[in-house]
This record gives sequence, C-alpha cells and structure tokens, in this order.
Amino acid sequence: MLPQVIAVAIFILMFGLIISEKVERHIVTLGCGLITLVVLFGLCMRNAEVAMATLNIRSIFTIGFWYSAGAAEEGSSGINWATIIFIAGMMIMVEGMARVGFFRWLCMSIARLVKYKTIPIFVTFMLMSAVLAMFIDSITVILFLAAVTVELGRLLKFNPVPMILSEIFCANLGGSATMCGDPPNIIIGTSLGYTFADFIKNTGVIALVSLVAVVIYFYFVFKKFLTENSDSIDISNMPNPKEAITNKAGFIIHTFIFLLAVVLLVTHAMTGLTVAFIGTFIALLTLIVSGKHALSLLLKADYKTLLFFIGLFVVVGGLEQTGILEIIAEFIGKISGGNIRLMIAIIIWMSAVASAFIDNIPFAATMVPVIRSLAETQGVGLDVLAWALSMGTDIGGNATPIGASANVVGTSVAAKNGHPIGWGTYCKYLVPPTVVVLIISTVIIWFRYL
Amino acid sequence: MEKGQVIISIGREYGSGGHYIATKLAEKFSLPLYDSNLMSDLASEKNLYLHKLKKYDEVPKKRLFSRTVNGYSNSPEENVANLQFDYLRTKAAEGNSFVVVGRCSEEILAEYDGLIKIFILADMQHKIDLVKNIERISAKSAENLIHQMDKKRKTYHNYYCKGKWGDSRNYDLCLNSTTLGLDDSVEFIADYVRRRMNK
Repeated sequence: MLPQVIAVAIFILMFGLIISEKVERHIVTLGCGLITLVVLFGLCMRNAEVAMATLNIRSIFTIGFWYSAGAAEEGSSGINWATIIFIAGMMIMVEGMARVGFFRWLCMSIARLVKYKTIPIFVTFMLMSAVLAMFIDSITVILFLAAVTVELGRLLKFNPVPMILSEIFCANLGGSATMCGDPPNIIIGTSLGYTFADFIKNTGVIALVSLVAVVIYFYFVFKKFLTENSDSIDISNMPNPKEAITNKAGFIIHTFIFLLAVVLLVTHAMTGLTVAFIGTFIALLTLIVSGKHALSLLLKADYKTLLFFIGLFVVVGGLEQTGILEIIAEFIGKISGGNIRLMIAIIIWMSAVASAFIDNIPFAATMVPVIRSLAETQGVGLDVLAWALSMGTDIGGNATPIGASANVVGTSVAAKNGHPIGWGTYCKYLVPPTVVVLIISTVIIWFRYL
Repeated sequence: MEKGQVIISIGREYGSGGHYIATKLAEKFSLPLYDSNLMSDLASEKNLYLHKLKKYDEVPKKRLFSRTVNGYSNSPEENVANLQFDYLRTKAAEGNSFVVVGRCSEEILAEYDGLIKIFILADMQHKIDLVKNIERISAKSAENLIHQMDKKRKTYHNYYCKGKWGDSRNYDLCLNSTTLGLDDSVEFIADYVRRRMNK
C-alpha cells in the first residue's frame, strides 16, 4: 500500500508542478523521476531490479532495439528510449531543414501556386499543415506556417487568426494519422509494437475522413473573415519563394534527407529498421552533410523536451511497478461492465477531455500500460484500444489553447504579431470540430473493429 | 544613454491621480505620454485590431489557463504585455524622451540612465473621493473598485518584475498625492525631474 501511495503522490506532485509552470517542466520530471528511483524503488521497495528495469538502459544494447524482423516492442516498463532517440533524430533533421529555408520556401511556393488568393491559401495551408505534421513535429509545422500566415495576412490584408486556428487543428489531426506525427503515437507505437503502416491503416483512415469534414467546417465558418479584402491587392510585389532558400545545395540535400526519412518510416515494417535506428541514421546524415553547422544544429535540438520525456517515463514506471495502472484498468473495466463499445468510448472521450487540459504526453505514457492491462483482462483487442487512445489524446488536445503544443505555439505566434487569441475565440471555433472528429473516431472504431 | 534623454516612469495606485500627474508632466516637459494610447500607436503601426489589443492592456496573466512551450506562451495577456514592453524598449533605444504610465516601465527600462522612477500613492479617502466623482459610483463601490484595480495592477506587475509593485526600494521617489494635492504634486515632481536632468 505504501509504495502505491508514494507513487501516486509523486505523480500528482509532478503534474501539479508542470501545470504551475513555477519550475521548468524537464526539471520537474527529472526531479520526480529521481524521487521515484531513490524514495520509491530504493528506500520503500528496496528493489534495485525494478529501478534497473525502469531505467531500461539495457534495451538500447540489444539488436532488437535497432533492427527487428517483426514489429519492435519496447520493454514493458520504464524509459522508452526508442521514443526519445527517434524524437531527437527528427529534431536534428528539422533544424537542418529550417536552416536552409525549407519551410518558408514551401509555404511561399504554395501561396504563389494558388496566385495569392486568400481562400485557396486557406485550404492548401490546412492540407499542408496536416501532411507535414504526419512526419514532422507539430510545433515546427505551426511555427513556420503561422509566421508565414501572419506575413501573408499583412501583405494580402486578411485577418490571419482564422487561418492559424485551422492550421493548428489540422496539424494535430495530421499528427494523429501516423506513428511519428504526435508524441503520444510514438509512445503508443514503440511501447505496443505497432508500425507506421499500422497507424496509417487505422488512425490514418480516421484522420483522413475527419480532415474532409473539418476542411468543410472551417471553410463555411471562416469564409466570411477571409474574403474581406481579397480585391485590389497587387501580387507582383509578393516575396519570391526562392529568396527563402539560404543555401541551394543544402536545400536539395536536406529535402532529400527528409524524403528519405519518410520512405524509411513508411517501409520500416518491411525493412525491419526500428524508429530508433531511423532517428539515429537521419540525425547522423543531417549532421554529416551540415559540415561546420553540425555543432549549431546539435545545440539547437530541444534537449529540455528529451529530458522531460526521460523523467516522465521513470515516474510513470513507478505507477506501473506499484500496480496503480492495473487498478485504473480494472476500474475502467468495471464501469464499462464488460461492454466493449462503452469501454472504447470511455478511452476516447476520457483521453480527449484530459488532453484538452493537461499535457497529452504524460497522459498517453500513463495510459499505455492501462490499455495493455485492459486488453489482457477484458478480452478486447489491444489494437482497438490503442487507436482509441491515440485519437482521444491527439484530437482532444485541440479543444483548448493549452491542450497541445501546436495550439500554444500557434496562438503565441499570432499574439506576438498583435493578434491575441483568447480562450473564448479559440474554443468557439475549435471545440465544435473537436467534438465532430471525436464522434467520427468513436463511430469508425465501433463499426470497423467490433 | 542618448545625451539629455529623460524617461519619466509613473507607477500609481488606482485613484491616486497618478495618470493626471503623468499627463501634466508630459505637458510641462513637452514629452509624449505613453499610457493606454500606446495600444493605438501599436495598432496603427502594425495594422492591428485596436479593440482586441485593448482588452489585454495591463491585465494579469491567467496562470491556470496558460501554458508555455519552448518559450512560447498562449497567454494573450502576456503576449500583449511583451508587445508593449518591446515598444517601450524600442522607443528608449532610439533615444526618445517620454513619460510612461505603469507597464512595468521602472524595471524594463532600468538600463537607461535617464530613467526617473516615480510611484504615486494616496490616502484611501482621497482615492475614494476621486474615483467616486470620476466613475459616478457610491463610496462603497469606489472602495471595492480601488481594491480590485490595485490587486490587478500588483499581480500584473509582480509577474513580469523582480521588484514588487509599490515597494519604495524600486523607485527614486514615492509621493503621497494627498499631502500636496495633485497640482502641487506635479510641481514638486517637475522640480525633482529638473534637478535630475541637471545632474
């Protein structure tokens, strides 16, 4: 009983401190992770084995971590090193792409392609946001898209807020489509042994249906805001997309590396290369071709997020090792009364509501062992629960300005440029499509898998 | 510091007449006054919607409803505050002299030698009388409004600044406007500013 109380207390302390923002979140999770190792595993449980299993370092030195003939499944508990190494690799790749001006070039090229017409920009940027977020972290996608949207808004005299809001939503939606699109999916995929193709065939289909629905929704809701000043704009003075490219040779090489990463990810179930291998390979390739810029790319990687993940996995490992997550699983099983449809609805909607207000990464990391336990004890397919968890955590975050990282960054970029977006405006436009996509997800999962 | 640059920062309690004093000082020294009008300048310079910016002028950040990711905050209050701070920093860096009301100016412009930091306070009865007449409300409502506004200003200020709002150690001069009255307070501060300018 005491270990469980301590594990829950550490978890609540961690969440409370993350929400309060008094201390940087990576320091919070690392500190709480250290307390878990020393107080919970060391002093209370006196079990070095459990501590070692949670640190999970041995897994990195196994062949299966880098190459697996089948789907690679991480150790059942503790630090998910595959997630951390993959995210680090993609961060370095994205920094390399940003350095040569890839994202700005892409945005400006698309704007030029549609002849700087506001509504076509609005639609294509939504689609671009979703597609890019399938492979690149949504923070980077929104950072560049929102900045270009503000710039285009200034030049073409339209209010950039509706466009930024729809880009945010589509980035989160696109992220739900693939294993590497959103951190919860990377955690779910690597922890439960699902491949890129598994996600595309399941959450990808749901995301595609949902994307059609939300593009139509946003078109009708925002159309009136985007046609205000569409006439009398001289487009001859618009910035040339080529000006965004800082290094032509570097641009070609980094675009090739990005496409290679996409190919490796799409085919990783066939090649047997794990996401940890792909992340490391792509990062090394980026660093080698970056020459003298390699060090600055390495330094630009967001180490705080990686450290945040490490600490978080240790704290969640504490909950898992003390059996708390099994109790939660039993509770969900009990209230659903063995009704699998109800269980799936609970997973989707509970994940969505939680992710709307708290960071969806710790939530997903906590829920992975819960759904594994539910699948074992309730006789429901693990994959069905995994897709429900994925859609719930990825889409629920759309509902509030603090629900997902892309929302925070997008609204921040808008506000920094003088377009503050309050909770009222945000929720008025993004809660309805969130609910619609959650309904679509629930219905598709119910009827496709049950 | 640009030669001869003077920046008069006026912090104030609600109802203390701080804004009136700032206005008179700006007139006296023929300096531009930055108060809530700063938003209008920002809006017209950057082609923004003024009413959307004004909503967040000197409003404290709602911590429970805010999140920061990689240095980006969703808080409109915080972002608008930073827009104002950047605007003031730019004006100061260009060597301009001006009078600024509130907006954490005594700390965000602390690097400028020409900065004169003043805080205006007043006795409660004096503040109630002033607010009652301006807002045309009862004494009780005026008192409540004063408490409410001061709490808001304090929360706003203390979030962005190390020094606490109204703490005399953060200012060059703290003046109770009740003792001299508003116009004599203006004269007293103007004399102080002149002496500082001649130093």
